[in-house]
Amino acid sequence: MSSLMALIIVLAILMTIVGGETGIRSFFSVLINGFLLLLASLLIAWGANIIIIILIFVPLKLVTIIFLGTHDYTVAKSSFFASCVVCLVTSLIVIVMEHFSQAYGLGPEAGELLVGLSQMPGLNYAQIGIAVALFSTLGAVAEAAVAMSSGLLELKKAHPKIDEHALMKAGNEIGYDVLGTAMNTVLFGVFGSFLTLFLWYFRLNYSFGQMINDKMFVIEMQIMLYSLIGILMTVPLSTWTIAKGLSRKDKLNASKQATSKE
Amino acid sequence: MKRAIAATIVFIIGIILTAMTFFATDVYQRDSVAIITDHRIKDEMVQKNKDVYGNVDYTHNQYFTIKVLSGKYKGKQYKVKNVYYSSQLVSQKYQPRQRIFVDIKNGQAALVNPKRDWVLVLTLTLFLTLLTFILGKKSILLVVSMVLSWIIFYGVILLDVKLNGSQIFLIFGTADIIFSFISLAIIQGINKKMLATWFATLLGVFVSFAICYIIMKVTGETEMRYETGDYATQDPRGLFMAQSILGILGAVMDEATDIVSSLYQLIKQKADITAKEVIASGRTMGQEIMGPLINVLVLIFMAEALPETILYLRDNNTISSTFGFTLSLGATQSIISAIGIVLTVIFATLCSLWFLKKEGDKA
Repeated sequence: MSSLMALIIVLAILMTIVGGETGIRSFFSVLINGFLLLLASLLIAWGANIIIIILIFVPLKLVTIIFLGTHDYTVAKSSFFASCVVCLVTSLIVIVMEHFSQAYGLGPEAGELLVGLSQMPGLNYAQIGIAVALFSTLGAVAEAAVAMSSGLLELKKAHPKIDEHALMKAGNEIGYDVLGTAMNTVLFGVFGSFLTLFLWYFRLNYSFGQMINDKMFVIEMQIMLYSLIGILMTVPLSTWTIAKGLSRKDKLNASKQATSKE
Repeated sequence: MKRAIAATIVFIIGIILTAMTFFATDVYQRDSVAIITDHRIKDEMVQKNKDVYGNVDYTHNQYFTIKVLSGKYKGKQYKVKNVYYSSQLVSQKYQPRQRIFVDIKNGQAALVNPKRDWVLVLTLTLFLTLLTFILGKKSILLVVSMVLSWIIFYGVILLDVKLNGSQIFLIFGTADIIFSFISLAIIQGINKKMLATWFATLLGVFVSFAICYIIMKVTGETEMRYETGDYATQDPRGLFMAQSILGILGAVMDEATDIVSSLYQLIKQKADITAKEVIASGRTMGQEIMGPLINVLVLIFMAEALPETILYLRDNNTISSTFGFTLSLGATQSIISAIGIVLTVIFATLCSLWFLKKEGDKA
């Protein structure tokens, strides 16, 4: 048995024990998420339109992460809405910044890796760069949105009479906690992911100026910053969505009660 | 409104710094900065290429003049030819009036790459402006914590280079202990809650890593293709371990903070709460968080390999061999982190029990 398979089986067992039914669903959300990534690359390799792939796969991945990974429907619905909006805004930022930085594709460092592979694949790597940036960002956005929404809903459950204004204010405080922790997730994820690249720069004596203009460095840093910006935008947006959604529900309930009294 | 003013100030400073980076010329030691003087670049498609895999791409030639802005050859002009393929995988198309780096040798100017640093400063500006606007004063703490993390990361890299990739577990294990202590202490302050979180984080990282290591050893590290790791400058197996130990930390810390803080609130509010109730509550929280959190790391670790994966698939490699070459290490790293995230639910719950109950007993 390969080590990866063994690890996956152990993960499945642990998630079932710790998470119960939600755990099993989360396990599948992780598997499906990985599978979707492979499927997207396969379709792009076959020559599918990359923009259309982005438009289909970003919402699809958000659905997988949010609806399969959480069990509260209200949390899922408002998280999904907030993440979609944030991903849309992020994609605009990505398009503008990528136009200026021209950082996409593979760097000259990848020379060894490219041996035997075609250097002229006939694919639009500028667009692939946008896809990569969005796929890396959306996980962090979805996670922050879920954390915000569930935190606010818990609060609402504990204090059912809380008004929209107080909820917005509480959202700010929950937002600080969510931001602080979510930023660490992204930061250390980036450290873990690009350690080899940073070591490469040091061992090959890149100057600071060379490093911050290098294609791969800029790609990785930009992805980190897009994720952080995405998380930031998620905080006020999910607060607003939840607050609006709840106060609408309250009004609905109130009017229902009023009509039933009549 | 105070926040809006602060954010505006951050934005203005950031834009000034962006402009300074954009126009900077003499700070670079290796290559010279140059500007493309043409307002329209002559670009001709010279060849339609078809490779052995049946991929069709187009070779273009660009002809333009550059004016050197820094270094020994400052003020000189050169005529340059740039060859690029329309897919721009490794080659690069240049834009009119763009600032670029060139390497001048024997009266010939070789294009190095576009000047990209100012875009990083611009994106950073955008991030800091948003941060100030949304969090106000509190954002300072987050920025300090991030800057410190980068400084420690820098130190860790220096140390690793100095020890030439030996003592991986020692370096990166210690790094995790310091990283987590500093960022938790900055954000929460040093108190019992923070210590409980820290303890849960360390248990989560080290116990789960040990379990994964044992599983990998028992299965003989079959199909662990460490050699496929990118940019390996030292023992690739050690690098992979180091990456796993580092990558797992943020998510575990994130989760431990969430669970311990909520349980702390819960115990504070309900004095008569039983251990059983606390455990049940911790488990419910963990169930909600772990799925999305695992997916964050899956995406960070795997999406970076997408450009390569697409290239492999494009060149008629089978899905399984492509996966082995480009995605399997990232996938393994994700699963190791996932195991850490699941186990942290248990540790975080137990730690809040242990510390907080004791506090209750004394009172």
